[in-house]
Amino acid sequence: MRILVIEDDAETAAYVVGGLQEAGHLVMNSGNGRDGLLLAATGDFELLIVDRMLPELDGLAIVKTLRASGIETPVLFLTTMSGIDDRVTGLNAGADDYLVKPFAFSELAARVNALGRRPRGTAVETHLRVADLELDLLKHTVKRAGRPIALQPREFRLLEHLMRHAGEVVTRTMLLENVWDYHFDPRTNIVESHLSRLRTKVDKGFAPELIHTVRGAGYCLRDPS
Amino acid sequence: MIRARPLHTSSFQLALLYAGLFTASILVLFALTYWTAADYAAKDEADEVDVEFTAIQDEAHLAGDTRLPQIIDNHLQQRSAEHAIYLLEDPEGHKLAGNIPSQPTWLGTRQIKVMLDGKMPDVRAHGYRLANGDFLLIGQDPRSLQQMKRLIVRAFSVNVVVTLLLAVLGGVIISNRALKRVDAVSRTTQAIVAGDLSRRIPSRGTDDEFDRLASSVNAMLDRIEDLMRSMRQVSNDIAHDLRTPLTRLRQRLERARERASSIEELREIVEGSITQVDTILETFGALLRIAQIEAGGRANALETIDVSSLLKSVVEDFSPAAEDRGQRIAADVAPHLQLSGDRELLTQMVANLLDNAIRHSPAGAEISVAAHAAESGVEIAVADTGPGVPLTERENVLRPFYRLESSRTTPGNGLGLNLVAAIAKQHHAHLSLSDNAPGLRVAVLFGGKAALEKAP
Repeated sequence: MRILVIEDDAETAAYVVGGLQEAGHLVMNSGNGRDGLLLAATGDFELLIVDRMLPELDGLAIVKTLRASGIETPVLFLTTMSGIDDRVTGLNAGADDYLVKPFAFSELAARVNALGRRPRGTAVETHLRVADLELDLLKHTVKRAGRPIALQPREFRLLEHLMRHAGEVVTRTMLLENVWDYHFDPRTNIVESHLSRLRTKVDKGFAPELIHTVRGAGYCLRDPS
Repeated sequence: MIRARPLHTSSFQLALLYAGLFTASILVLFALTYWTAADYAAKDEADEVDVEFTAIQDEAHLAGDTRLPQIIDNHLQQRSAEHAIYLLEDPEGHKLAGNIPSQPTWLGTRQIKVMLDGKMPDVRAHGYRLANGDFLLIGQDPRSLQQMKRLIVRAFSVNVVVTLLLAVLGGVIISNRALKRVDAVSRTTQAIVAGDLSRRIPSRGTDDEFDRLASSVNAMLDRIEDLMRSMRQVSNDIAHDLRTPLTRLRQRLERARERASSIEELREIVEGSITQVDTILETFGALLRIAQIEAGGRANALETIDVSSLLKSVVEDFSPAAEDRGQRIAADVAPHLQLSGDRELLTQMVANLLDNAIRHSPAGAEISVAAHAAESGVEIAVADTGPGVPLTERENVLRPFYRLESSRTTPGNGLGLNLVAAIAKQHHAHLSLSDNAPGLRVAVLFGGKAALEKAP
């Protein structure tokens, strides 16, 4: 993926750029807001990673300018501004995701992948299918190998999210944000508990195993074949 | 210190302004009195002269015109005390009787100057032509009128001077009193600026406007002192509480440098160090969040929330985790409870309370989430059957970083209840800890009497 990182702190920039390059992405870096905006507007990038506080032009202004001129490249804000309102203003300005510093690289990598693969402009799917696992959003039913599986509402939302991102690593924080709408960290491991129940219902007695734990990163639902 | 002088105070200037207005009104009153009195006196004199003239004519008619000089003399004698003026001349202009020298003849009323008792006052005189052709002049020495005018002027002058003097004196006294109290306030505030935050403005106990000002300023100072104290406490706590994990981190890294013999061992130590750093960052995150909540400013995030469904959903979120620890969460929530609040913060508050209950209670514990309408609002309570909090510690556990001896080994940063308290306060809700016998019951009362009083 062609990624532009607009970040003025050299060490953070080197960490992000280096890590993404190792993961096989094509990465460019800009150290100030104005050059960053120029690059973003003219270059052919699939993803922008933008710091909120930048010299010359701040991240919020960059995103607003891009969106106003019709450039819809996905934007991930990378910032130390962790307030509830900061997140809301960031997303309202047109960013697609918001990651607060400091972060684990696995978290960034997972979000970069999710944004890169986000289907744009496609019709809303009502039927999801991974291997022999089927989820019907209209009838609210789940079947594996044709056999119906009864899920709690939260488990259904969890499975839906995992299936929409089938093959991608989804972190615990991403699940908290998207499935639970929790923008704070409940110290109780509610994600793990729900996931182990879901796994029992979806994978136990079936082969192959679909829900996988990615050590140190998160979870992944994928068809091994 | 800048010392204000009484003459520059607003109360003195007010007193002066008042004195000025008062003097002006006295002057208007004076003018009115003066002119009315003078006018009245002039009319009175004219009437009197007319009466005199009629009397003289009548007497002359009875006694005969030749007796006129004698009649005039009689009148002169009778009215000598009133400084009357008479003059009788024959048609040729010879003086026949009277007390002033002969005059050119004229009719009507005139102001003339005559020699009288060695003075030359202005006299209002009335000239008449008698039936036999004689000229009669009757007048009145104006001294009594002048005297009355002088009296009026003097009375009013004294009045103005006394009023001005009293106003200035009163102004100085009132200003001095006000100044003394203002000085007391500025002395206090200057002492506070100099660093003594314990100083308070003295009150006289009279409940006047200065006392009310003093008590509201003192209340403000109490609040500031409270905030300063808790801020100092928090920064001390932060310094102390973060030193421990940082020390451990340092020891870990030092051990890695000195002793690690294999890549695996090094990796393990680094792994542990990252966990340690994450814990520290988590503490910082919690502190930041508390600070943000306490700073408020999310007023636009207020919405009407269906508390019943919010609680139901949070209980569903936490139930599996509790079951994994052999605990059970029971919900006793009345339907359709509503309150105005910040959805994200309220969710976090309930999550934090459940999180506390789960972590501090042993396996087999019963955790209950209850909500019902109370007073004029809604009470949300989370209770557990864990070890509870002793009565003496209930105030303390609300302090940042405070942890009970018995829970030192349970993971946590000692900020959970602090965050709950901050969210409750932001919603003007009342937070209370009580004994669940056994265990702890934390109740948050929204929109109750306390909230109504505090709400803006």
